Amino acid sequence: MSGRAARPGRAVWLLVLAVVVGSLVASEVADRTPRTNADRVHALADDFACPVCQGQSLGESDVPIARTIRSTIRTMVDDGRTDAEVRTMLVDRFGEDIDYTPTGRGLTGLVWVLPVLAAAAALTGVGLAISRWRSGPPLGADTASTHGGSVDAADGGAADTGRPGRARLLVGVAVVAVVAGVLVARTAGDRLAGDALTGDIRLSTRTLLAEAGVAAPAEADALYTRVLEIQPSNVEALAYRGWSRWRTADGTADGAADRATALVDLDDAVASDDAYADVRVFRASARHAQGDQAGAALDLMVLDGLDAPPIVGDLLAASRLRQRIAGALASDGELLAALELLDSGLDAFGEVNGDSVPVSGRAALLAERGWLLASTRVPELVERGMASLDEAVAVGPTDPYALAYRAVVGMAVPDRSDQVAADVKAFAALETPPADLSAALVSLGLLDG
Amino acid sequence: MNPVRRAALAVGLVLAVLVVVFATREAGQDRMTTHLVGAVAPPVAGSTLDGSLWDLDDQRGRWVLVNFFSTTCVPCIEEHPELVAFAEVHDGTDPAIPEVRVVSVAFDDRPSAIIRFFNENGGGWPVLPADTGRIAVDWGVVAVPESYLVTPSGHVAAKVVGGVVLEDLEGLLDRASDALSGEQAES
Repeated sequence: MSGRAARPGRAVWLLVLAVVVGSLVASEVADRTPRTNADRVHALADDFACPVCQGQSLGESDVPIARTIRSTIRTMVDDGRTDAEVRTMLVDRFGEDIDYTPTGRGLTGLVWVLPVLAAAAALTGVGLAISRWRSGPPLGADTASTHGGSVDAADGGAADTGRPGRARLLVGVAVVAVVAGVLVARTAGDRLAGDALTGDIRLSTRTLLAEAGVAAPAEADALYTRVLEIQPSNVEALAYRGWSRWRTADGTADGAADRATALVDLDDAVASDDAYADVRVFRASARHAQGDQAGAALDLMVLDGLDAPPIVGDLLAASRLRQRIAGALASDGELLAALELLDSGLDAFGEVNGDSVPVSGRAALLAERGWLLASTRVPELVERGMASLDEAVAVGPTDPYALAYRAVVGMAVPDRSDQVAADVKAFAALETPPADLSAALVSLGLLDG
Repeated sequence: MNPVRRAALAVGLVLAVLVVVFATREAGQDRMTTHLVGAVAPPVAGSTLDGSLWDLDDQRGRWVLVNFFSTTCVPCIEEHPELVAFAEVHDGTDPAIPEVRVVSVAFDDRPSAIIRFFNENGGGWPVLPADTGRIAVDWGVVAVPESYLVTPSGHVAAKVVGGVVLEDLEGLLDRASDALSGEQAES
């Protein structure tokens, strides 16, 4: 009777053990399940080897190709592609060898099969050993056969047939517990394409971006980072975080490193959406400051081909970024590249804005063009420069650069003295002429100090 | 035989077979270099150094050599005269020689450096100088220089890992042309 009372207790304990093991497995799987797109990107990047590095994953490596692949993963995840699609793309491009999680097909499948077979063999061995141990002559067998043998024999028979049945039941419970735990964890933790975790992601990122737009730099940086946690390829967050970091880098202890980080954001933004106008202006400015005038010019020429909002044109005109880049190119001996950049801007003004051209912007570009040509002191080019300056003043009679440049260049051109005087007078009448221009005219004796 | 010894022998045999299989398996690196050949060429499109747009799709009907490079890589510098010679031979002026358009895709480089590189080393073909990361991923480029010969129908005919040599490029073009002629004759 005491033996009968002990058997259900052991079964209960085994059941508890099975449930505990199942729960542990399920929680382990649940912990690995990414919760946001950024988590998914990190997880995917960690699952693949950098194709050109030794022993580093895509997530760990900072070589250009690894950064580029991470950017591609970000875009694909945000586009709603599944992990399987990202894996397929990477394996298609770079081969199976970069996949840290081998497929279950072909020879590679042995990596999965062998450990399972080994575990099964080990468990079978242990099971056989226990079975042998238990099948030895039971203590007091003689007693059982002598007293009340018929009853005990019947019980013993039931126990013998019931033991394997209970074992099967326990194994079944354990398997069901593990499978159910895994399924529940995956269903609860995984976010498929088009699913939202809580609320509408687009709405939440839009709200965060709006808040960042009016926040102080440090707070804005944190808000942009939160957006990128939700949507890692968000071009607006990448562009504005990069620009914010670039602008504040000078005031930090490690300015060079911060600028490099900012440029990575700007590059990622362009990689994410090469038609996003704002980032072209930001990166052009950063490249200009770094001395990469050709890169800066390229960004602006790409911008000229985009349907940029008017505010971008206003920003360019106010900052005179295009003229500054053109001037730097000309100083580097790249006059043709400088003129190409200015002409590209002039064409864009004509094509995009039509009659609603910001006149001052067009006049400023023509003035810069004329100034650069005249600065060569090659008679033919000076003549072309003068024509460009005349057009600049005609387009923008109050543009300070058109007036000042034409006055200075006109000093060296015969029969232009009256016009020089008129230009200086018009310049002096401006309410807020640029200080650098005023100083230049004063130093040349054209304007009273 | 003792059942335990029999089992141990079986396990040993399985392990030996696995060692042989893995040891004689084709190296993964080799397979990585050939996956694009025969497939439709991935997109190559973007702004060139002068700001104009270049698209591989617009080159259908012509052979194209897509060259991935960087101005800071030594093999790229070494291969450049070979590319210049190849581009000159196949510039389309001699009707007896097939025309091949060359396009260079710079990887992780500065446009200023690229302009200087081409000014100093020659080569008047289109260069995509920036934002080419996605192109490199699409083509599975892992290390520059890499070059791909694209057929007039837009398929990748050959891939060259490392610096190109004029003679080898001519050989690749000849073989690809013969293969294409054979396919056309069959169809």
